[in-house]
Amino acid sequence: MKIVILVMLLCYSFAFSSGDTTIHTNNWAVLVCTSRFWFNYRHMANTLSLYRTVKRLGIPDERIILMLADDMACNARNEYPAQVFNNENHKLNLYGDNVEVDYRGYEVTVENFLRVLTGRHENAVPRSKRLLSDEGSHILLYMTGHGGDEFLKFQDAEELQSHDLADAVKQMKEKRRFKELMIMVDTCQAATLFNQLQSPGVLAIGSSLKGENSYSHHLDSDVGVSVVDRFTYYTLAFFERLNIYDNASLNSLFRSYDPKLLMSTAYYRTDLYQPHLAEVPVTNFFGSVMETIHTDSVYKAFSSKTSNNKINSEMPVNQLSEHDELQKANIPNDELKTEKQKCPYTQMRVDLHEKLEKFENVDTVVNLGIAVMVFVVMISSSLL
Amino acid sequence: MACLVRSWIPLLFLQSFLVAIAFGSNEGEEFSEELLLKPLPDRKVLAHFHFENRAPPSNSHGRNHHLFPKAISQLVQKFRVKEMELSFTQGRWNHEHWGGFDPLSSMNAKPVGVELWAVFDVPQSQVDISWKNLTHALSGLFCASINFLESSTSYAAPTWGFGTNSDKLRYGSLPREAVCTENLTPWLKLLPCRDKDGISALMNRPSVYRGFYHSQRLHLSTVESGQEGLGSGIVLEQTLTVVIQPETTSVETNMQPSWSLSSLFGRKVVGSCVLAKSSNVYLQLEGRLGHESKNVDTEIEAHKLWMNSDFDLSLKPDRVIRESSSLLFIFDIDKSSDSEPFDLGLTWKLPSKWSCEQAPLHASRFLMGSGNERGAIAILLKATESQEKLSGRNLTTDGRCTIKANIFQIFPWYIKVYYHTLQIFVDQQQKTDSEVLKKINVSPSTDKVSSGMLEMMLELPCEVKSAAISIEYDKGFLHIDEYPPDANQGFDIPSALISFPSHHASLDFQEELSKSPLLSSFKEKSLVRSYTEVLLVPLTTPDFSMPYNVITITCTIFALYFGSLLNVLRRRIGEEERFLKSQAGKKRGGLKQLLSRLTAKIRGRPIEAPSSESPAAESSFLSSKLIFKIILVAGAAAAWQYFSTDK
Repeated sequence: MKIVILVMLLCYSFAFSSGDTTIHTNNWAVLVCTSRFWFNYRHMANTLSLYRTVKRLGIPDERIILMLADDMACNARNEYPAQVFNNENHKLNLYGDNVEVDYRGYEVTVENFLRVLTGRHENAVPRSKRLLSDEGSHILLYMTGHGGDEFLKFQDAEELQSHDLADAVKQMKEKRRFKELMIMVDTCQAATLFNQLQSPGVLAIGSSLKGENSYSHHLDSDVGVSVVDRFTYYTLAFFERLNIYDNASLNSLFRSYDPKLLMSTAYYRTDLYQPHLAEVPVTNFFGSVMETIHTDSVYKAFSSKTSNNKINSEMPVNQLSEHDELQKANIPNDELKTEKQKCPYTQMRVDLHEKLEKFENVDTVVNLGIAVMVFVVMISSSLL
Repeated sequence: MACLVRSWIPLLFLQSFLVAIAFGSNEGEEFSEELLLKPLPDRKVLAHFHFENRAPPSNSHGRNHHLFPKAISQLVQKFRVKEMELSFTQGRWNHEHWGGFDPLSSMNAKPVGVELWAVFDVPQSQVDISWKNLTHALSGLFCASINFLESSTSYAAPTWGFGTNSDKLRYGSLPREAVCTENLTPWLKLLPCRDKDGISALMNRPSVYRGFYHSQRLHLSTVESGQEGLGSGIVLEQTLTVVIQPETTSVETNMQPSWSLSSLFGRKVVGSCVLAKSSNVYLQLEGRLGHESKNVDTEIEAHKLWMNSDFDLSLKPDRVIRESSSLLFIFDIDKSSDSEPFDLGLTWKLPSKWSCEQAPLHASRFLMGSGNERGAIAILLKATESQEKLSGRNLTTDGRCTIKANIFQIFPWYIKVYYHTLQIFVDQQQKTDSEVLKKINVSPSTDKVSSGMLEMMLELPCEVKSAAISIEYDKGFLHIDEYPPDANQGFDIPSALISFPSHHASLDFQEELSKSPLLSSFKEKSLVRSYTEVLLVPLTTPDFSMPYNVITITCTIFALYFGSLLNVLRRRIGEEERFLKSQAGKKRGGLKQLLSRLTAKIRGRPIEAPSSESPAAESSFLSSKLIFKIILVAGAAAAWQYFSTDK
């Protein structure tokens, strides 16, 4: 019996090493406010609230890409210069003394947003404006603004479509720019923005379902506009109770959304995300809490590659050994899933490519292809 | 006793080591912090923060950074910047009330938004590349969209109109750029004490940004050491100029408001930055006050200077310096501590009035014309009071008294300026170019490639009351992608720079003040310059939903066309089928039909379609025909392909 389990564990670890085996090493956050103009004050307040939260929970400024589409803090209409509030009690100035905005004003465009995600920048772009994540990164992508069915408006001038987002995420996955990605969107019909996502390791939360609006929470009569959206308000209400050492799970965050209070139904897309939500602490995305690994010798883990691999392969095994004693029945299931991860499509493509290269006469291949096409045309026309 | 000494020695070592870290080992790096406060005639207070950081020439291995910010020295090293100035400004400098003929205004009155100019120490061909990279680096460093200056449509290379003569100079400005906390914070992070200690601790963000005018400036210049093997030293000068309205409770309108540092900034200075070589606060009182008491010889007289019938200072100044038209009180904040914070206050007892010295000509700029097609830009130079005093100083060789004025202006490419329409009016009379125009340099704009630039040197007679320059332009059309998201707001034309090359402003201190970088910079003669307003030009903006309309209508037309075509193609078969069906129905005879109708009524179901065999048979027959045709076509195609490839 033990041997069987061992073999299974080995299989598991191997399958895992072909996919995303790396351990979680760092956290990044991309926070985007896509709305221009003063009446969209609440969107900037939303983004800055999240900024404050992730900073408080341990993500440093150099790992946060903050995009603000307009200047609200020093806007001429702002009664409180250099201050932004997300509550009418004005207890907390979100703009503080230490805000680093990476993209602002006209720079917040769909192009720049996709460039940040995919990492395709001009050479001159400084490091502070790049998302320098790697395959061990957990990324939080928060977006707020005005949206609709499968799109999100940028600056009231252009749109990010759900296909664009899905393409960018897919590219990120292929470039190994993240281990896990959490997309949180607070717009109207936010759930539709996730429709096209298909990359593994992506978790998505939207503030509302298709056909639903996301509403603002309350109006500040001194500032003169609404200062926060409901979904973000209740997200913050959840996080304000936490500190960096808390172990609250994502599940508890998801459960904290009450459709009656939100006036919309929060939507979670978890089918691309493997770990059990009840076991994932929120600080995996909203903070930067690293696991400490004990090594026998000092600095060896960083100096040599072999030991690094050892850790990588050991980690899932360790995690699983705790796991399997609880749910032995689940293991074959897991194996099935991981086999899927080998991606039959890429394998097929590689095989095809190899075969193609063996051909000496390209013309015959082309002719054969035409013959096949004729055949296909025949079949399709006969079906008509 | 020996034991005691032994335990003391390491402590002493440690202490001396710490002191060495703090002061000794800076190897010539020097940092100083200063604050100049100045009440303004229009009941406001000007606060001018000045931080200077000097790095000595480094050897070839690079620099050891103690106080000097590494980011800046890397910038200088990488892009080979010889001199650079970056300013972030909001608000407009009021030349009439805040002064236009003193070093403070000529250096710190900046155009709205971001202004950047830099001189590079690279071959001519690489200047533009260095500029591009520099703008990107600065945008990352200061959280601003300075990288928009990289495109050749937004910067220019002034030759002589800017005041700095160099062919490796690039100049650009972004009038629309917002300036806020996120720009000040990285700027403060360049200071050794940040905003935690010393004078910079006063910078409470809300009170700074509540001001009427705030300009944050960073100026860096390299100083050649002249020695072999040594690089160049860097002088980094950071200034923040704020004009604040103190809150007053008094109802009297002619009374100057009393203020203190804590009422202006909501904070007090608790001790100086320990890393600074000098930390001083100056209070400058201008005008009538300065002339009042001539001799400050005795102690009582000196006391009278800061506690008299006009005003009271809350603290005793360490020194008082007289300048030609003003008094300067110097305070050393080293003595302040947590228990006794430095909170300088000025209380006025009697109403007082004075005026600031102004530039010889006051410049303003405005737009003329109407409509979305064309217009004209006019720059109006008006004589000020100080002009009379200045006249007579600037005699040319033929004995005429003249005022020289340089005008430097950048036009974005979509403002298509016709340089031949340049008209100059002096005292409302049109003058020919040769009369007043000494020098002119024009580089016309190229559509979507480069911006236009105009440099002019005017020589006006001293007794001039007003001079106006107008130039006409056509508005260009942008591509739909080039419009910003808020295109309906209009487009900004950057400020024009008016400088007076024959006038130099300086403060004339009687005493030697080599210690203070701020005062010594004031003592140096600086070019009198002023920036005009930013102009807002409304351009024709398209209906941005137009592309969507076009797409929708095109799609509709396509759908209609193909839909109907398909319908026509399909309907023919359908008609045939119906025809065949009806024929089959006829063949079956009326009796059978009646029977089936009856059974359908009994069962309560609609009439069943006549047996599906016959249409299937018909369709198979049809398709075999079709297949034959297709095979024929495909065979022909394959044959064609085969023969064509063989040849």
